[in-house]
Amino acid sequence: MSKHCLYETVFIARQDLAIDDIESLISKFSKIIKDSNGSISYEYWGLRTLSFPIKKNTRGHYVLLKIASSKDSVAELKRVMGYNEDVIRSITFAVEQHGKESSLAVNIKDPNSKKDKKDENLDLILSQIQFEA
Amino acid sequence: MTTTQNNAIRNINTHDNEDSFLKVSLVNQSVFIRKKKDCPLKNFPLSEINYKNLKLLNKFLSERGKIIPSRITNVELKKQRAIAKAIKQARKLALISPIKKDVNFN
Repeated sequence: MSKHCLYETVFIARQDLAIDDIESLISKFSKIIKDSNGSISYEYWGLRTLSFPIKKNTRGHYVLLKIASSKDSVAELKRVMGYNEDVIRSITFAVEQHGKESSLAVNIKDPNSKKDKKDENLDLILSQIQFEA
Repeated sequence: MTTTQNNAIRNINTHDNEDSFLKVSLVNQSVFIRKKKDCPLKNFPLSEINYKNLKLLNKFLSERGKIIPSRITNVELKKQRAIAKAIKQARKLALISPIKKDVNFN
């Protein structure tokens, strides 16, 4: 059995998909990882406005997959995502550790209710940063 | 540099002045010394610098959407590199726009 490594994959799905379609996409991709004894969890980031149009889409559903698996199954996942027409962009990063839930995450069942997860110490440092033009 | 000049500079560096520039008058000349500023991300963990932290990354972009150099930000090298990498990753994901064209420059 090959060694398990940590990866993060972000994919953007087409803007006209419903939430059910997104969930079926996620379960489809999760199956590839789970079949090779890997573990996977996901974060849904909501329907966000893209900063530039991708394949004639101005908005997109962002999903982050947190993967602990072998490199072969991740290569297979990338291949499948490339064929899928609902996915307009996907990027995979190798990471050293999976962080906490990011501030972009929203609830997949209720995207409008935003979670208030603030790290006050870090926000204080950020608010003090200012550069001269 | 002569030893007297070196001593003069050493004495001035020990003072805690808030100015970034100090004017030192020596015998027949004046020398400007730039004091090194503190890194603004001194207490910010390196692991928190990633493409997901848009609040942080937007601080390090100019009006045009360019990355501000460490010469101006005074961020230490390791963290500046991490920021630059994270910004480029976020641009690929269309989280940050690669350039802002509609800025008014008078």
